[in-house]
Amino acid sequence: MSIRLESGPVVVDSAVSTGAMSRSDASPEVAPVIFDIKGLNVFYRDFHAVADTDLDIHQNEITALIGPSGCGKSTVLRCLNRMNDLIDGARVEGDVLYHGIDLYGPAVDAVEVRRRIGMVFQKPNPFPKSIYENIVFGPKVAGWKGNLDELVEETLRRAALWDEVKDKLDDSALDLSGGQQQRLCIARAIATSPDVVLMDEPCSALDPIATYRIETLMRELKERYTIVVVTHNMQQAARVSDRTAFFSVDVGENAQRTGRLVEYDFTDQVFTTPSLRETEDYITGRFG
Amino acid sequence: MTTDQRPEFHAALNSLEETTMDMADRVEKMVGIAVMALVTSDDALVSQVISTDDTVDEVYMDIRSRWMQIMARQQPVGRDLRMMAAILELNNTLERMGDQAVNIAKIARATAGLPREETILAKLAEMGDLVKPMIRTAIDCFVRRDADECLLLPAMDVPVDVLNRGMWKHVVACGHDQPLLEWATRMVLVSRALERVGDQAVDIGEQVAFLMTGDHQEFTRVPDNVPDL
Repeated sequence: MSIRLESGPVVVDSAVSTGAMSRSDASPEVAPVIFDIKGLNVFYRDFHAVADTDLDIHQNEITALIGPSGCGKSTVLRCLNRMNDLIDGARVEGDVLYHGIDLYGPAVDAVEVRRRIGMVFQKPNPFPKSIYENIVFGPKVAGWKGNLDELVEETLRRAALWDEVKDKLDDSALDLSGGQQQRLCIARAIATSPDVVLMDEPCSALDPIATYRIETLMRELKERYTIVVVTHNMQQAARVSDRTAFFSVDVGENAQRTGRLVEYDFTDQVFTTPSLRETEDYITGRFG
Repeated sequence: MTTDQRPEFHAALNSLEETTMDMADRVEKMVGIAVMALVTSDDALVSQVISTDDTVDEVYMDIRSRWMQIMARQQPVGRDLRMMAAILELNNTLERMGDQAVNIAKIARATAGLPREETILAKLAEMGDLVKPMIRTAIDCFVRRDADECLLLPAMDVPVDVLNRGMWKHVVACGHDQPLLEWATRMVLVSRALERVGDQAVDIGEQVAFLMTGDHQEFTRVPDNVPDL
């Protein structure tokens, strides 16, 4: 089954499993599952990066992936839009179901996957072009036939950047501040009408004020999009996310470090009464 | 012009404060109704106080739960942190004030069939009339962030303490009549409850001072050499 390039909402089968959520299943308002990850194992050649991960990502929520360096959280994130395909020797085993469709199925177009599932990186990386061109680039490639000016304004408004750049749309994106550049990258990611926005340490290069603006923007964006964010900043995960997945590292023979999912629950639970001692030790700074 | 960079957090904090103030309004009314129940021997008012306390207890738990979530997720600092500390203290204080109102109401019910002594009743009613404005003053100071007016609270508490300490003389005077003495002895507990409510209103004032200055202050209490009434 392929994912088609059609605008409009993705119809989600409400019967899709909501997965195992220990104490949280009692919640009467469980958002539909958009990613159903089962038995995920990721290898970089012989290196076993992530082991046996089961994870449900819920629609229109912000899911934070936290954990120490090398725990595989960014690897898992990159599996969600097949960015690992671009890494030589990367191999993904297990199921990554997106709206019930196997993202790694033979008929699935990886480019279309990345249009549906956009990504924002740690360091703001706008194209060395105008602000306007940064926004319209993706839609043009995807064959957008609508009014580009309207698209640019609407997209920049959603990214809370319009008021700051509306009079300088032809200026170079590189002239913007770091925080503005990152919001432009978020705008660029949502310009192609994605369903999901993945964020890999989106604020680690930003000052606290720019960070708060991105966090506020994330909460606004989740009304339209599903967001998955990797962050080293536990406080950020606590502030911004609906659910938190804590990954840790197992050190095996030959000092090989393999990441695994330890605990996944509503963020309220994870940061007040986590189920596992390992999670509690990490969030209280008793790790390592 | 300043822009709120953390609107969701501040909305949650404001909401928590509003809930706490709603709780304070309920507790203020409970104290007044409890004294009224005692003075008028109105059992319906006793039931009203007990019922309201069930609500107050639910609000108390709700505030604690939301407080934990905010602390865990938002890491408040500066005046936000002081507000969080003050709200936690207020929540405990208000819940105990509600319990004192219930104590008074239950004593009113338990002593309904006993003879009464009007002087003691009048003193207790007077104490009630004194502590209610104290609660209102403390809460208004909190809402207005008024660290000056809350300094009036210790002085407002003086006649309450004095009336409480003088209560024993009136009780002893009932010693000739066993049923009356039983009633009067219970009234010592009512007096003590109202005296505690006065102290707790002062405690709220101390939290206002902490909120505004960052200093943990113990307001000066009534000196021991003030004569009893």
